[in-house]
Formats: sequence, C-alpha cells, structure tokens
Amino acid sequence: MEKNHPEGVGLAASCMAACPVHTPTQAYVQAIAEGRYEDAMDLLLSANPFSSVCGRICHHPCEQNCRRIAVDKPISLRGLKRFVMDQTKDFRKTRKRQGAPANGKKAAIIGAGPSGLTAAQDLAMKGYQVTVFEASDSPGGMLGKAIPRYRLPFDVVMEDIADILALGVELKTNTAIGKDLSFADLRQQGFDAILLAIGLAQSKSLGIPGIDSKGILLGIPFLRMAVEGVPVKLGDKVVVIGGGNVAIDVARTARRLGAKKVTMVSLESRKEMPAWEWEIQEAVDEGIELMPSWGPKAIQAGKGGVRGIELKKCTRVFDENKRFNPAFDESVTTQVACDNILIAIGQGSDFSFLQGSGVKLTPRGLLEWDGETFATSVPGIFASGETVTGPGSAVEAVASGHRAAEAMDHWLQTGTFKKVPKEELPNIGELPKEVAEKARKLERVEVGLTDAGKRVQDFEEFERTYTEAEALREARRCVACATGAVVTEELCAACLTCVRVCPFGVATVDRTASTPAEKCLTCGLCAAECPAAAIALSRFGTEKVKQELARLAGVKKDKDKPIIVSFNCIYEAQSRRYLVPGEEVLGKDGVLRIMVPCVARLKVTELLMPFELGAEGVAVIACEEGECVYPTAEDRLEVRVRRAKQLLDEIGIGGGRMDLFKTKGSAEESWEELWEESRNKIKSAGTGAGAEVSR
Amino acid sequence: MIVAERKPFAEIKEFLAPYKKVMILGCGTCVTVCQAGGQAEVDILASELRIADRQEGKSREFITGTITRQCEPEMVDPILEQVKRDQPEAILTLACGVGCNFLAERVGKVPVFPGVDTSFYGTALEHGVFAEMCAGCGQCILHLTGGICPIARCTKSLMNGPCGGSNKGKCEISTEVDCGWALIVKRMEELGTLDKLTEMYAVRDWSKSFHGGPRKLLIPSVKIAAELAAQAEETTKPGAKS
Amino acid sequence: MKSGSNLERVITAGQFAVTAEIGPPMDANAEVVIEKAKVLKGYADAFNITDCQTAVVRISSIAAAVLILREGLEPVMQMTCRDRNRIAIQADLLGAAALGLKNCLCIAGDHQSFSAAGRLKGHPGAKNVYDVDSIQLVNILKIMRDEGRQQGGDPLKTRPQFFIGAAWTPLGDPIEFRPIRLGKKAKAGADFIQTQGIFDVEAFARQMEKVRNLGLHEQTAILGGIIVPRSMMMMKYMNQNVAGVSIPDQLIARMAKAKESAGADKEKAKRLQEEEGTKLAVELIEQVRAIPGVKGVHVQAIEWETQIPEIVKRAGLYPRPSAPA
Repeated sequence: MEKNHPEGVGLAASCMAACPVHTPTQAYVQAIAEGRYEDAMDLLLSANPFSSVCGRICHHPCEQNCRRIAVDKPISLRGLKRFVMDQTKDFRKTRKRQGAPANGKKAAIIGAGPSGLTAAQDLAMKGYQVTVFEASDSPGGMLGKAIPRYRLPFDVVMEDIADILALGVELKTNTAIGKDLSFADLRQQGFDAILLAIGLAQSKSLGIPGIDSKGILLGIPFLRMAVEGVPVKLGDKVVVIGGGNVAIDVARTARRLGAKKVTMVSLESRKEMPAWEWEIQEAVDEGIELMPSWGPKAIQAGKGGVRGIELKKCTRVFDENKRFNPAFDESVTTQVACDNILIAIGQGSDFSFLQGSGVKLTPRGLLEWDGETFATSVPGIFASGETVTGPGSAVEAVASGHRAAEAMDHWLQTGTFKKVPKEELPNIGELPKEVAEKARKLERVEVGLTDAGKRVQDFEEFERTYTEAEALREARRCVACATGAVVTEELCAACLTCVRVCPFGVATVDRTASTPAEKCLTCGLCAAECPAAAIALSRFGTEKVKQELARLAGVKKDKDKPIIVSFNCIYEAQSRRYLVPGEEVLGKDGVLRIMVPCVARLKVTELLMPFELGAEGVAVIACEEGECVYPTAEDRLEVRVRRAKQLLDEIGIGGGRMDLFKTKGSAEESWEELWEESRNKIKSAGTGAGAEVSR
Repeated sequence: MIVAERKPFAEIKEFLAPYKKVMILGCGTCVTVCQAGGQAEVDILASELRIADRQEGKSREFITGTITRQCEPEMVDPILEQVKRDQPEAILTLACGVGCNFLAERVGKVPVFPGVDTSFYGTALEHGVFAEMCAGCGQCILHLTGGICPIARCTKSLMNGPCGGSNKGKCEISTEVDCGWALIVKRMEELGTLDKLTEMYAVRDWSKSFHGGPRKLLIPSVKIAAELAAQAEETTKPGAKS
Repeated sequence: MKSGSNLERVITAGQFAVTAEIGPPMDANAEVVIEKAKVLKGYADAFNITDCQTAVVRISSIAAAVLILREGLEPVMQMTCRDRNRIAIQADLLGAAALGLKNCLCIAGDHQSFSAAGRLKGHPGAKNVYDVDSIQLVNILKIMRDEGRQQGGDPLKTRPQFFIGAAWTPLGDPIEFRPIRLGKKAKAGADFIQTQGIFDVEAFARQMEKVRNLGLHEQTAILGGIIVPRSMMMMKYMNQNVAGVSIPDQLIARMAKAKESAGADKEKAKRLQEEEGTKLAVELIEQVRAIPGVKGVHVQAIEWETQIPEIVKRAGLYPRPSAPA
C-alpha cells in the first residue's frame, strides 16, 4: 500500500541549494548514518569529481546554510565529506565507471585544474575522446601548485585526478600552449572543440618604489616553491600584502618556513577581509598579526635587500558603486620593519598565446566570453573556470567545468549554442524558530586540529579526519531536511491524530492535514500513527521493511535458534558492524537485523510483518533511555509495541514473542546481549505458542 | 461522529474461517477517526489474519483497501466493480453498521461481515477517548437543557432528572459515567436559566425516534421535486382533473 | 378525599403518618407475603410493596399488594418507569384501581444493571423502557384521576382514584437542585412524598427549611424515610454505595462499638448490633418527627420486616389512629 511513498517533498535542502554544484548533501549524510559509505561516495562524486580535495579545502557554503544553525550548530559537512572519501579510497580505485560509447569526436582542454578536469570527466562520460594539455609537470592547477600541503596533501589531489583519468582522458603534461605547442598547431590536431581552462596563474605585483628590491616574492610563485619543496630563505620578519585566501596561505606558509613574525597588511578592514573567517582565525592562532586598512606606499631597502615598508592609511576600499576603488589618507603613515615582502594582491591569466587566433580580448585584457554559453568569440572555443569567472573557490571551478561541458556537448552535437545558466534549486528555506526551539540540542562533533603552536613547525596536515564513531555521531545530527512527512490529501480524514502526536507543532489540519516541509523535522511519528495511513516519509517506509524481510524466505527453522527479526535504531551504532547487512540472512548473531533511522517511526503493521514472513520473534532495540533525538518518541514506541503484543496474544501466538529493549552504552556494547535475552525469551515462549495455535 | 470498536480477533477469524479469498474493506471517515477501521487498521487486521493463517499452515488471499465512505453510492460503486472482477468469497468490512448494511445490500452473492461493533454518536473528549453525546432521537431538545442531552447522557433518559441515584456527579450505574442531569443543572446554573427546570418537561413523543420505525429523510429540494413529480403524474393520469 | 385511602385520611386529619415497606419474594410464593402482612398488621397506616427493587425480579407490586389487601392491610403499590411503557403503566393502574388499590408511589426505578449490586444475577442485559420519567408518571396519574382521561387523550369513564406518591432524595447530588425538583413533583400532582433514608438529621433539617420557604410542605405530605440499620457492615455499605444516603460518623461509631463489645461472640454481636440499630431507628424517627413540615415517617427494614412492630412501639407511634375499613 505504499502508493503514496514520496520521492521527496519537491524542495531542495538548503545545504544542497547553497552548494555551487548542488551536492546531494542531505542524502549523503543519511547514507553515512546508515553505514552506506560507498553510496555516500557515489552521491558526492555524482556532483563533484573533486570530492577528496573539497573534503579538505572547500569553504563549505553548505555548512553556512545548514538549517541546524537555528537549533545549535551546523553539521560538520566538510568533515563528513572527508571521512567518506578517506573510507572509500580503495573502493573508488577498484570500482569501474562506464560512460557512453565513443562518439568519434575529440575535445581539447587547456589547463588541468579543477574546472578543466571536471569538464574532461563530463565529456569523457558522454563518449568524447578528451586530451588535457598541462603546462607544468603535474596536473591539479592551483590545487597542486599553490594550496599549501598542510591544507591539501598532493596525494589527495591525485586521488581525484586519477579517478578522472581512469575514464580514458589523455593527459599531456609539460605541454604549455604557446610555448611547447602553439595554439595554431593545436588547432590543426583535429579537435572538434577546445576549452580554455587556464586559471589565474600570474600573480599581480605593485607599482610602488622599491618593488625591485631583493627579498620580495609574488604570492603564487612563493607558494609553488613551498609546495615543490624548493628552499626559500626567509628572514625573521615577513610582511604579506593582501587580505584574501591566497594571502592567508602565503602568511601561514611563511610561518612554517621559519618566519618568526608574520604580518598581514590589507587594504580591507578586518570585517571586509575577503579570506574565509575560519582561515583568518587559524592564521591568528598561528601567531600571524593582522594590519587591516593599510595600503603599501613605498619599500625601503638596503644593501642586503628589503628592510621595511611604509604604509599609508586606507580609508575606503569600495566606492559608492561597490567597485574596487581604494582611497587613502596620505598623511597617516606607518613604518613596518621586515626582511621579506610577499605580495598576494590578486592574479591574472596570460593570454599571449591567443594572439592571432581570432579569440578576442576585452579592452581590460580579459577574454571576451559569454557567461551562459561559455563561448569565446570563436565558435568551438570555450572557456571556463577562474580565467573567466575571476577568483573563486575550487568547488565553484568544478561547477564552471560542469556547465562548460554541457554547453560544449550541445554545440558538438548540434552546432548551436546552449545557454547553461547557474541552476537555482527551490530552496526549502530557513528552519522556523518556533520549530527549532523544540528540537533537541546535540553537541557538534568538531574536527580535531593539531595545536597551533605545534602545527606551525611543519607542513603536515593539521586537521585530523573523523573516526567512524565520530562521523556517525555527527551524521546523526542531520535533520534530513526535505525528506519529511508528506500527506496524501485524498486519504486524510482530518482526524487530528498527527496534530496531537507531532512533538514540534508542525502538523495542522484545515480541511485535511498539512505537514509543511520547511518545518518538518522528519521524526516520522505522524506517519507511524496516522489511522488512514495517509502520511509517508520519503526517508524510510514500509517498502524498505518489506524488502529486507523478504530475505527470510527460505530460511529453515532451527529449534535452538528461533528466527528473530530485530529492528534496531541506527543512531546507536558506532561502527559499520551492524549497519551493513550481513552476508548470511541471520548472521552470527542469529538475527535478521533491520536497521531503522529511529525505531520510533515503526508502525504496528511493520512490527507484525516479520511474523507473516516466518519470524518467530521480534526484538525492537531503541536508543539508550532518554537519548532519543525526538521528544515523546520513546513513549509512543512503547505504546505501539504493547499494542502489537496484545494483537499477538489475540492471534494466539503470544505477545511474549516481541520485546522492546533499550541500548546500553552503544550498539557494539550491548546488542549482542540483548539479542541473547530476546532469544531466551522467545525460546521459552515457543513451547507455549505451538499448543495455543490450533484453535 | 459514529464511534465503533473493532471486534475481537477471534470473532472475525471465525467469520472468515470458511473462505479462501477475502476482501477487507476499510472506511475513511468515522471509523478512521476513532481508529477502528481506517486503512491502518485494515493493514493490521490483514497482518493478524496472515500470521494466524501461517500458524495453521494456511495461506489465503486478502484483498485490502479503504474507500472514503461506505455509505455513499458513488463511493461504493467502484468496490462493487472490484468485487465482480476479483470475486472474493466474503467481505469483511470495517465500516460502521451503516456501511456494512449499505454494502451488503448492493454487493450481490457475497456475504458481508461486520468487523466493528458500532456503538454510538460521540465526540473525542481528548485524543483517543470518545463519549456518547447524542441518541439520534429525531426531536432535539437541547435548547431546553443547556445543550446537554438528557436522552443520550442520562442512563434513564429522564426528562425531569436527576433521579435519586445521582452521586457526586456520577450515575448510579458506574462511577465512570457522568450523571447527565448533574451536568445539565450545572450548565443551566451557569447560563442563569435554571428556572426553566421548575416546570415539568412533558411526556415525549418517541415516534420520531427509531421507536417509530426505521427512518428516512429527504432533503427539502428532493422532497419538493418528488412532490412536483407526483403532481405531474396525477395530471397525466387518465380521468385526472385538468 | 382524592382516594379515600387510610393514608390519605391520616394525613388529612393532620396526624403523624407511618408507612412501612414489605419486600416480596423472588419466587411465586404467596405465603411469604401473607406472613409478613400478618406480622405487620396494625403497625402502619399503609404498606409499600416494592416493584422489582434493584432490578431484581420478584412478585409484582400490584399482585403482592392485592395479597396484603386481602389480609386487611392497606397497600401502597409502587410503579417504576424502568419496565413498562405508558400503555402498560396505565393498563396496570386501571387494573390496580379495579382491584381496590388506592395508593401509588411513582418512581424512576433502579437501572437494570443493578442486580442487587451484583450479588444476584438479575437481568443486566434487559432492554429498559423509561418511556416516561417519575415526574411525568405522577402527572399521568393526576390526569387520569382529576381529568378523567388517558395520557394520550382517550376518556376514562371510571377514573382510578389514587393517592399519588413520589420519592425524594433530599441529600442527593446536586443538593441545591433537590428542593426545586421536589417542587416539580408537587406541582405534577404528588400528594405524598417518601424520602430516601435519613441518617444525617441536621442536613435533612436544612433541606426542609428550604422546602418550607418554597411552601412545598403544604403542597405535598413529606414522610421522612427511616432505614433500620441491622449491622455496622450494612451502615458502611449504605454510606458508601447508596446515592443520597449520608451517615454521620458518630452513628457508625455507635454501631461499631456495639459490635466490638461482643468480642468474639458472633451471636452476641448480631444481637447487640440489632439492638443498637433498633435504638437508632427510634431516635431517628423522633428527631425527624420534630422537624416542622414533616408529616410522617416511612420505615424500611430490609429483610427484617418483623422488627418494625417493635420500632413503631418504641417510637410511641402505636397504636395507629384507625384501622382501614
């Protein structure tokens, strides 16, 4: 009778909506909670081929938009993503991906950064023969060349890239277009389309006096040297000019290379600094000083090189038109002594290789480019990523790559341009305060960081990954937005049961019941108790129970081992041990385990169902006393179990065959004992029932 | 609304013992609200029967479903179609007595068994607690008793209660039963209309209740249409006055 | 005279009336009734015959009433609303009148689930009637007697001349409403009233004051109910279970003392309690008699009718003013 089982409520969870690639966030977190790490990996990779990378460095707009913020703190989504990718490393290598059969067309991609390689993946999956040209000796772009190793180890970058190359994408490193191979020659090689994904590799410099002094380095080259292990000698005092994420990376790298005093000078005020807030905080923890609202005036140098820098007060960064147009008070200056100056004030692309190709630039020196069709001025030549969007995050580059690939595919198949705008998802919106107030607060499991004093000493990753128990505990906090209760109005009798049962005051009845998606916290109590069976959750329903019980078919009865079906709450698991179904139906515990996200959502019919299919006993194992995330759910479950027991008495097979247990400590600590208890109870109930049955 | 309670399983099991293909039909209105016969209860009963069958080594076919109301022709028609198609040997309905009657008269050669004991017209005092409020007497006198019915809520249906058995607001038959007349007196005190009760309320005409025989009701427009039709027939009869 | 009954004459003459109750047997044994009649003759102005009290099937009130009438006692037949509709009621009333019965007490009747408070099987599954209630029944008798017509309107040539009685529970819930309801009964045509057993004389006196303020004591003759307690257990039981019967603690204490003073001797305990009960009954009669507006007493000694003569004598109410003609 699950004709009203919904796929979802037709709205996207706000985490998913906020993600530039619309990662199915809520879905992968639920997959983690259910122990399906491989499914979680598939979900992540379906949106973002650079999931391992983003698991380390993404700026997680999903977290900023997590609706749980209204209750306590957002889910640690980046941490969970990293956990999944770490757990499934080997699985990812061995599993095969099958794209569409080869369609005979070829595409060239210049630049093996995240946007280029994402486009390469998508095109390869659609059957195109793809070749990626990379100027340097290794792929990854900024991921491998600029982002410091303490944030992103290179082998992590290669995990993602290897998975893409495994689709048959050809990678040609050490092939700089314009140097090793001219653009004109490239175009002779028979590619049906070309994607310019060259990123912003050129660091900008300052035109102030003393800029040519020794001891001055540009941001990206500096980071690249650090990443490649090229020895960089820095003095004790270093000034970094810039307020963005690159400047932060530069500053933190400088600390690790031995600088004792690192000062970041930015035009922006502290609040305006464009770097991610948590990065700024981590930098400050590492001892970096900030000097916001100052601009570079002149560099002082001596015989050995840089001695200091004179700064002038920056009174304003953006003008009335919100344009970058800094203003200064030249009369207010200050002097900072330093041995090195590292400049991280922005980047650009070198388009010199396009001269004579017909690919036009704008008067400001940027590519002439359509932001929706991804086309340049030459049909068949497209562009994506930071080179055309300006500086952005890795995941935004991935999004750009996806859209470019879609645009290119259309053009390649039809010869016409397709607009591929940013997809806006219908967002479920904020969690209303009156509901958030009633939700139980759960402490966020923070990702462990190495102590600041210790971590500046080297380039080791300073962030620990979650243990399995931590990840499961954090995943449990997810509210599973947009998978809540859905009422089938034609069946609703307006009996008000859902209104009375909902612990959060979400359900209301006008002519029929209504469970607004933006309020529902997915506890499932209304669905379990609706007398008209008119409410279903897209998250978990009777069909799933039926599927799992189908495994009982063909299991032979054993006098000493009664067939027991155990409904267990996933939230008490600290490992996958019980979350994944065993090889044998009854496992070594002798029990068919059905894992349920909160057993309080089990209907009476679901509790009885095992007996229809051959079970001799049912154990329901709930969370530890008082631990259930949903208020009143424990008590309601108890009433339902008692009713089921009464019905079993009524039928004549005896209510003693069903029992409700509470976990003690954790699943791993207590379930085996509880199953043993259940077995003993049911064995003794067994002798009685046989006699009673023949009525 | 009509309040009913599901019959004991043993009784239903016995009704259905001879049949191998049974339709279990729920009703989506009153019995859903009082949790006796909605889809959820249909599912539970079907499950119980299947479990019981399994214990006896039996396996039967159960067709289950619920319709919005079993007392409405258009809503029951699709079931009649389905019965013709699927040919169940018996139907167990969880609708109230009204639905059971209605279905039984229309369904042809298939026995229809009642799955619930229909009890009263009542209200939900709180979730899951229902109390009798109205006796369907056909001649409402609630304006005389502050809105509280002496026929349904006084055990003896007294018109001039309370009798001597009223004890601390409860009826002599049980402390679980409120004395309807105690409620009436209290309410009319509250309304300031207690003086109405100094006059004897006259002997009742019970012929309007079911004591006068099974009742039928036509809504005004249908009544009028019937009258018009009768008139028309009169004037077209041979020998009719023009 | 409305009925010419002995009870009516005693009351009309302004003398303190005494009625007593006889309970018929649960089988067809007329002898039991006749024996009781013989014992009680002369000790009350009229004798109530209960009508399937506590919904237990016994010889009908009318039949038993005729049996005692033949022994020279004046009956008060009782008519409940539980078992008969208005047709049967009126038919029985006509028959009763034709058989010479003159007094009729109109009551609602205990609900059929009673079965003597569960001590007997009874007929709890019977369909009850309650076509009319006790007040409407009083009114029906009045119409038949004074207007010479049946309730439905058909005329009565020979009218049943009844002295019409009704019951009253002065201390029943809701207590403020009880005087008002008494007024309804008086207005409906009740000539005399027999109350539920009184033990809390003060409380009864307070209700009687309200009744006098309403002038009801002049409209209808109120006979105070006196239940003769036979044991402490009986008193406790009544206090807890019988609606409208409220027994002050000191009375129960008296009975308890009587019981305890017998120690382990069960026979003695029975005797002492019965003696105490008799004393108590007599005191209650005297106290109730002293309340202005009370026109008599109605003595009930359940399954102990034989004690009534003693009680009536000790209360100074013997001999009765006149014997029936």
